[in-house]
Amino acid sequence: MNNALNLSSGPHIRDKWTTPYIMHVVSLSLLPATIVGVCVHGMNALMVVLLSVFTAVASEFAFDKLCHKPDTWKDGSAIVTGLMLALCLSPDSPLHLPVIGAMFAILVVKCCFGGLGKNFLNPALAARCFLLISFGTSMTRFTVDGVSTATPVAELMQGKAVNITSMFLGTAPGVIGGSALALLIGGLVLWSLDIIHGEICFSVLGGFTLYIGLFGGQGFDPRFLAANICGGGVIMAAFYMATDYTTSPVSRLGQMIYGLTIGVLGGIFRLHGGSADSFSYSVISANLLTPVIDMNIFPKPYAFRKKSVFTRDDIGVGDLISRVPRPVVVLTTITIIAGLALSGVFSMTKDTIENQKLAANLASFQVVVPEAESFKSDETIDQAIADLNGEVYGSDFGRAYINEAYVGVDAAGETVGYVIRATSSDGFDGDVSMAVGLNAEGAINAIDFTTLNETPGMGMRVADPEFKDQFNGRAVSKFTLNKAGGSTEEDQIDTVSGASTTSGAVVNAVNAALDFFNTTVKGG
Amino acid sequence: MRKTFRGGVHPAYHKELSREQALRPFEAKGEMVYPLAHHIGKPAKPVVKKNDPVLVGQRIAEADGFVSANIFSACSGKVKAVEKRRTLSGTMQECVVIDNDGLYTKAEGFGVREDVSGLTNQEIVDRVREAGIIGLGGAGFPTHVKLSPKAPDDIKYVIANGAECEPYLTCNDQLMRTQADAIVEGLELMLKLFRNAHGVIAIEDNKPVAIAAMTQAIEGHGRIKVLPMKTKYPQGGEKSLISAIAGKDYPARMLPADVGCIVENVGTILAIQRAVVFREPLYTHCFTLTGDAVKNPGNYMVPDGASFAELLEYSGGLKEGVTLKKALAGGPMMGIAMATLDVPIQKMNNGLTLLTDDPAEKAEAQMTACLHCGRCTTVCPLGLMPQLMADTLVDKDMDRFENRLYGLECMQCGSCSYICPAKRPLTQMFKQAKAEIMARKRAEAGGKK
Repeated sequence: MNNALNLSSGPHIRDKWTTPYIMHVVSLSLLPATIVGVCVHGMNALMVVLLSVFTAVASEFAFDKLCHKPDTWKDGSAIVTGLMLALCLSPDSPLHLPVIGAMFAILVVKCCFGGLGKNFLNPALAARCFLLISFGTSMTRFTVDGVSTATPVAELMQGKAVNITSMFLGTAPGVIGGSALALLIGGLVLWSLDIIHGEICFSVLGGFTLYIGLFGGQGFDPRFLAANICGGGVIMAAFYMATDYTTSPVSRLGQMIYGLTIGVLGGIFRLHGGSADSFSYSVISANLLTPVIDMNIFPKPYAFRKKSVFTRDDIGVGDLISRVPRPVVVLTTITIIAGLALSGVFSMTKDTIENQKLAANLASFQVVVPEAESFKSDETIDQAIADLNGEVYGSDFGRAYINEAYVGVDAAGETVGYVIRATSSDGFDGDVSMAVGLNAEGAINAIDFTTLNETPGMGMRVADPEFKDQFNGRAVSKFTLNKAGGSTEEDQIDTVSGASTTSGAVVNAVNAALDFFNTTVKGG
Repeated sequence: MRKTFRGGVHPAYHKELSREQALRPFEAKGEMVYPLAHHIGKPAKPVVKKNDPVLVGQRIAEADGFVSANIFSACSGKVKAVEKRRTLSGTMQECVVIDNDGLYTKAEGFGVREDVSGLTNQEIVDRVREAGIIGLGGAGFPTHVKLSPKAPDDIKYVIANGAECEPYLTCNDQLMRTQADAIVEGLELMLKLFRNAHGVIAIEDNKPVAIAAMTQAIEGHGRIKVLPMKTKYPQGGEKSLISAIAGKDYPARMLPADVGCIVENVGTILAIQRAVVFREPLYTHCFTLTGDAVKNPGNYMVPDGASFAELLEYSGGLKEGVTLKKALAGGPMMGIAMATLDVPIQKMNNGLTLLTDDPAEKAEAQMTACLHCGRCTTVCPLGLMPQLMADTLVDKDMDRFENRLYGLECMQCGSCSYICPAKRPLTQMFKQAKAEIMARKRAEAGGKK
């Protein structure tokens, strides 16, 4: 009997959590986002997910066999990599993309550097960046009903209003894992299970919010911030990509530094970069910092921390406070100071920020309200626009949006007119945006297009004076489109022949602007 | 006072196996073996020789120097030999072997309650030293050394350690339930030595009966209080208790007394009471026999020197039809895996856990590469960075391990290895690295001489 006794060095028991267990929990937590993505985007999305996961596992299996390594493909990490990669791909991806991507992620980024725990970049993200560089067009092509369209983030970066609700739920055009809500649920579950470190995800979000709020030109406007956070994979990056164990630092302070780096870099790329993939690049960049952080930033044991023990006599409230880890105190202090400084800077630069917003379309505004010396914002109007929440305006105007509105004043400060910028998404090829100028009494001065990408020779002709000058000088509450032509009535507008879709979009947008003027500007 | 320390883990406790089993005496019949180096410090010198008759409580080896301890026989009979025998650590050690006559004839001179109110502090410490008391919690540090700090007036807390955080073990729980008054009396004797100190009886809150018993026993003892602690391993570690109770963390080069604390296991405190009040030497202590392979798990008062194998047999042996796969002297966290049960029970052994399954073997099969998940850094009660420490050991960067990551501070509680999802043998690596570094240091120091 005695010979059969096993020997081991203590501890002789282990926690029930194993590597595969953690990996499977992470995969499961991605399931909601996957399901939403597949339901919204359809069959091709499902194929992308399945191919990506399958190729990832198969690649690792092949590598293990060819190189005579232990069977690491069973540990579940390849599933996570494949799934994360798939969620970062367009639902319209040609099916070779997930295959090539997953092979690159597993074979090149992971296995060639020593496998699990040895890779220096997040495999899924590195593969995504690889695909972005190699197959740029397919990677950034997103369609709705077969027609190419811009993602909300691309629009946001161009300064357009976006529908936050659809971004949050994941129904907006974009990658398969586009549902911020589903990712957030999964991420918070992982956080509550202590699988991912709050230090990382919340400093990513914090750093990003801070940067966007400070330098985004719109201050800490909650809608602007929410739109930025819900789009462009910020949630995915914060909760899944940045928290990858291998490529993130060990110590809490290191994790906070790493997270803030990602957030701020993401903000810089988002605001000043050319690509909507700001977070892919910011996480990859910060991955490279991790070894440096781990070499240098880690805490001393409790017994060696400053003021640790030797002077205090007994336990009191002061003792409890001094037991709060120093980094927390330091970071909190910095945050408070930075916050105060920011709010000071913000109030000082508020006017400048608003002027910048104005400057974008100022030329158009001056065309439609030529009497105005300058344009100023009005609190009631701004509030009304904020209340619209970037959603479709009214129910009679198709997909029309009110973007902004200003009061035109002359040199003496007297109101000489109003300008309302309105957009209709019912154009033949995307959005049609225009500035609608009204005089002080509410009659239309003129309209001028700020965004128009219609078909040349057809839809583009709405910008010709024959069409757009029809609105000038008229004072009605609503226009109708006369497709027959030869209108005589005050409220009728002749269509551009062969371009009734675009014409209709323009009329809808003008009507929306008029309605907004009558209900809000004049009424208020 | 906080109820716990930072970090720690929650292993499955399995205390229900033996928790309600009252302490029973174990009257061993076989030969008794007493290793002369059973405590920390210098081995004792035998004072008996072959064929000498001995009685229960008779001194068979005397302390050699200040940091050393007397050894007493727990049985009557005659000395069979003074020779090398295999001990728990697996090595052969010099031992006194006694042929047990099974009669347990007691020596004279102890067992009668004395009035100790007039004793001086020195007399109390002397009686403790006479009785050969060493720490029963596991380390085996001679107690009279602990009770003689350089500055007795700087001691703020005398902590009675009844945490019993090691999974499976329940004998201290039973001891506190049944010997509460004696433990309090022992603690009062210790408090006499340290006039500025408070007594704290620290018990994990998974022992409500023991807490109730101790709370009742301290009534009228103004300097003592019972502190229910959070149930968390290693709550009963000296550093964990001091961190929680005194709010002090101290490096490995310092002793608890340097931060104003004396920590003694409740079993040791009972031994102090027996030694001072009854002049009874330490030759028996509480012990838990448990594990899923044991037919009748239970708690025993075991005589020092009896064999583990005989205790198992005495209790009724293994369950029918099971194969014993793992035998642990102590519990599964800090216990020692045994190659054979035919070794003597020593004073600091407080349990025998017999398992039909070997979780360590299973863990080895589940081992993967380090994920860098950071769980080990969260659970380390000392605030070390086990993950980085293990990395440096893989790179053989001993300097970084020792000087930048404070690897020598590790107290080998096993929390990091326990929690590691990749099943890395972290604690085991640190034990080995520490041993290597200490050996090198000793060699260097020797070279200088």
